[in-house]
Amino acid sequence: MINLKVVSPQKVIFEKEVEMAVLPGAEGDFAAMPNHSPFISSLRPGQMAIMSSNKVDESFFVSGGLVMLKEKVCEVLVDQIEPLSEINSSNYQKSKTYQELDGNDTALSTFEQVINNPIYK
Amino acid sequence: MPNLKELKNRISSVKSTRKITSAMKMVAASKLRRAQELAESSRVYADSLSFILSSLAGNTKNSSDLPEILTGRENSKISLLIINSSDRGLCGGFNSNLFRNAKKWVSDQQEQGKSVKIMTVGKKASSFYKKTDLDIVASFEDLNSNDRQLQVSEEIKNKIIELFENNEIDEVSILFNKFVSAISQEPTYQSLIPLNNEETSEDESEPNNAVFEFEPDKNELLEYLVPRNFLTQIYRSVLESSASEHAARMTSMDNATRNAGDMIDRLTLTYNRTRQAFITKELIEIISGAEAV
Repeated sequence: MINLKVVSPQKVIFEKEVEMAVLPGAEGDFAAMPNHSPFISSLRPGQMAIMSSNKVDESFFVSGGLVMLKEKVCEVLVDQIEPLSEINSSNYQKSKTYQELDGNDTALSTFEQVINNPIYK
Repeated sequence: MPNLKELKNRISSVKSTRKITSAMKMVAASKLRRAQELAESSRVYADSLSFILSSLAGNTKNSSDLPEILTGRENSKISLLIINSSDRGLCGGFNSNLFRNAKKWVSDQQEQGKSVKIMTVGKKASSFYKKTDLDIVASFEDLNSNDRQLQVSEEIKNKIIELFENNEIDEVSILFNKFVSAISQEPTYQSLIPLNNEETSEDESEPNNAVFEFEPDKNELLEYLVPRNFLTQIYRSVLESSASEHAARMTSMDNATRNAGDMIDRLTLTYNRTRQAFITKELIEIISGAEAV
């Protein structure tokens, strides 16, 4: 298990033990698992998925940020994050993330894509 | 002999002042709790970010590889000071302490042969510095909600990056009241350009020798990180300052409430004495009148 800690500038969103987390790194998706080599990367807009035994437990949209991966700890510093369980294609335009991304077209289209057609389901 | 009616009016006006100050104290106390929570919960992000930044900068052996905005210019001539004041008064020495400190800083810089520019946050600072002959580059006001605080931090960040790139400033420091406890706040300086790394390396207990891989490469990461770090540090100072403001207001309003109470006691005593004196005087008049008959 790896300790996944998701933090926004305002607060700690959550912190928990997970088997594996897939993150949208700047140069491609990668999976954070225990004993990964120490690694720092920026994030592109995309889907973050928490997985156990090859199934997606929870799924989020992140608008960008940073990740610091150590042996047993994965710290994700996100700009905006939105859990995908609560939104769908009809109401996502009302979400806070959508409002805040206003004007950032690449992030918005990725947001739309992640909702309508997530890579990890 | 004091006029009874005047005394009565005075007592009732002090009473309503006491009501106002005690209400303000209560409001400040509840706002303080919220501001303190915000300041504390934003600390996690800021700490992680400065850890990443310092391991990134520490990883680069030759400091000339690092961008100027991180290390500062060699011959720095113009310093910018960002002053975090409050929008509203009635908070004791909160703002005057800050301005006194800033004045000292400005003369220190001028002695070193640097010119000084000022950026003000909060109405109090902008009205104070308008009267001085210092160069004000920007003023920000009305930081009354958390969203607005974040927005202002963002604007400040953009402004200082723009000024730095146009060679209008060489150094940036930020001055704010650091929240120590509900009864004590201390004016604190933090240097943004050049980045002050000492504090962060002391704070981190774990040694900074873990070798990280970076993706994309360091320069691209730094390009993303440096503005992010400014934003976080500015945002943090804004939050600290707002927590301090509420704390300062709470203590000063508490004092004011207590002083008003003492004043009411004193005035009531005078009022009663005067009233008694009037009664006695009237009695004497009646008795001596009756005796004369």
